[in-house]
Amino acid sequence: MTTRPVQRALRFLASARLATLLIAFVGAWSILASFVPQGDAEAPAVAEWAAAHAGAEIVVAAVGLHHAFTAPLFLAAISVLGISTALCAWERTRVASRRARVLRDARATDAAAVLANHELEVPCDPALDPGEILDRAARTLREIGIKAERRDGVIVAASSSWSVWGSPIFHWALLALIITVAVGGLWRSSGLMGLAVGSSAPDAPASYGLLNDGPLRSWDGIKRTISVDAFDVTYQYGGVNRGPTPTVTVTDAQGAVIKSQQVYPNKTLKTGSLTIYPSDYGLAAYVSVLDATGAEIQRSAERLDFSGRTEDGTVPIAPLTLVGTDLTVAISVPLDRVQGGMIARVPREPKAHVVITGSDGGVLLDAEMVPGQDLALPTGDTLRLLDVGYYARLQLVDDPSIPVLYAVLVIAMIGLGLATLLRQQIVSAAVVESAEGKRLAVRMRLWRNVTSSRTEIERELTDVLGTSGEGSHE
Amino acid sequence: MTTEIVLTFLALTAYAVASALVAIGVIFTKEVFTRRAVWAAGAGLALQTASLGVRWARVGHGPYLGFYEVAAALVLFTVAAYVFAVWRSPRLSAAGIGVMPVALLLLGGSMLAQNVEVPMTAKLSSWWLALHVLFANLAFGAFALSFGCAIVYVVRERSTEGAWAKRFEKLPIQDVLENLTVRYVLIGFLFWTIMIATGAIWANEAWGRYWGWDPIETWSLIVWLIYAVYLHVRFTLKWAGQRLAWFAIIAMPLALFALVGIPAAFNTPHAGIGGLGKDF
Repeated sequence: MTTRPVQRALRFLASARLATLLIAFVGAWSILASFVPQGDAEAPAVAEWAAAHAGAEIVVAAVGLHHAFTAPLFLAAISVLGISTALCAWERTRVASRRARVLRDARATDAAAVLANHELEVPCDPALDPGEILDRAARTLREIGIKAERRDGVIVAASSSWSVWGSPIFHWALLALIITVAVGGLWRSSGLMGLAVGSSAPDAPASYGLLNDGPLRSWDGIKRTISVDAFDVTYQYGGVNRGPTPTVTVTDAQGAVIKSQQVYPNKTLKTGSLTIYPSDYGLAAYVSVLDATGAEIQRSAERLDFSGRTEDGTVPIAPLTLVGTDLTVAISVPLDRVQGGMIARVPREPKAHVVITGSDGGVLLDAEMVPGQDLALPTGDTLRLLDVGYYARLQLVDDPSIPVLYAVLVIAMIGLGLATLLRQQIVSAAVVESAEGKRLAVRMRLWRNVTSSRTEIERELTDVLGTSGEGSHE
Repeated sequence: MTTEIVLTFLALTAYAVASALVAIGVIFTKEVFTRRAVWAAGAGLALQTASLGVRWARVGHGPYLGFYEVAAALVLFTVAAYVFAVWRSPRLSAAGIGVMPVALLLLGGSMLAQNVEVPMTAKLSSWWLALHVLFANLAFGAFALSFGCAIVYVVRERSTEGAWAKRFEKLPIQDVLENLTVRYVLIGFLFWTIMIATGAIWANEAWGRYWGWDPIETWSLIVWLIYAVYLHVRFTLKWAGQRLAWFAIIAMPLALFALVGIPAAFNTPHAGIGGLGKDF
């Protein structure tokens, strides 16, 4: 009693109509999503669109089209499509298994088997002997792209038995792809880490400025450290400007170098499941704080982003808080100017613009200093500008699913390649001799990738074997 | 530069001649014109290959950066697919009535658009990009052929007894033509899938994510889904005849839009790589 609804549900989920409708739905949804700005309601593009399309916005917001590819409706469709793909792949596997058996049998077929099981009989010119009929039939089939081999009293054109496995392999690979993408996201982490040249940071959440990690991502066993050792702002290689290029080193818990290399687009640092990309860059102001005795009590590499909205052209990512005080130091580096803008490089004569504010936000000190220069702080300590250089913003992606994803893609390509390029066909024929004359008995299974057709085969064979068209193919 | 321009204009002329000859051959039932159209297409193909070769030597990279190069490469592969198909099966020459005008208009349009030389950058300097573009071209060539076969199918289907039936009588019979359309769609689908896969790998190497729902990625998936629906309705729901042919006819312009139209309609990081109107 209970199995019947389950069977009905499985039949429904396995139906080709549902699969087709789901694919069409995902396609239509994607088309709509491409015309609707994606993001939160506060995002300028989304807000602007919502204001301009107030009527449509009600529906768009209700179905979640502003977050189209994480919307429950879309994810539900993908989930059902995944189940449908699994059931479809299973069904295709069964069909392929059956066809493979039929193909194996067909390759070993004989005249008796063809005569016992055929769909078509072509009347032949009585003047032709059976051997000539088969020769002509084989030649005609070859002319329409079907290569048949002649054996004792029979001609056979049967595909190899593995030609049928392409579609199941492709569908299983698609299912694996959906699962890999979904599951991979649970362990994946992707974040931005800004490191001044010469500095390092442990690969831990606190070191990231921006971090997206999956719910199953664990940082417990990760003991590596990321460093930026050098920076070439216009690295040239192979005649191509590779852009701002940091040299990145990954070390283990003992400080041993795991990997070290220059990192630029298409030349990423890979170690295990971690990949490091260059994301952006800015300037770094290296400062130290000295106490009254001249001893260093604090050292920092302040990272500055380029900004067209400020007078100096740079802004600190975060102000420096002086140890043991409630004073903050905001450092910027005035950029060199050219006509119409500023140069996003370390200035030819670098200097730092230092603004010190108290806890009430009031400015206590506003001064400029050059490397090596000291600045007396209100606390009695001294701020020294050591140098001005670069910082590299790195993108670190730790995704163990990437190699699996690539492997699945390769398998999918192989499956699709087999499904696309290999024919699935059986055409076998033998001569029947009876009181009514000679006829060519033809068995046909034109499953896939056969450009010819039953009608064409029948027409061509009738044409060449009958008396009227005998000469036309000679 | 001058050699390149002259060769491109000669190629365009050859394609125009091929389009005219195949039209005359089909409409006036002159088989000899249809055959000569294929020769004209072949000559245009040789000239355009030479033109793009000269450009390749001059700019230092293959034809895959900027609208002109992308569109010209699509034309090259479309005509190559047509010539190859006719070489394999001479009866298909009349399908040029659907294919050659596409090639002619696309090459003409690309020559009217700004012909900017997009410099090679670190992100574009990748074999994965070259493979990605190669398979995009191969896919479009196959889809254009399916489009040509489907157009001929629909025209002949609508006049099975009349003049058009006679005009296309050298073509394979309707169900074989339909099978050929499906076969070209399948081949295009394979290449389109490889294009998406190689694009995802390139994106992962260059940007740190294999899929970002960028408009061009989304539209390449949309086209993939459209052709997936086509193959499902053909193989599992057993669609056939005119509605299947119309499906192939409508799908091809969407593939073309995904390849060259997206940067004009959407803000995408692909702008400048191959889009219409937003070169660097």
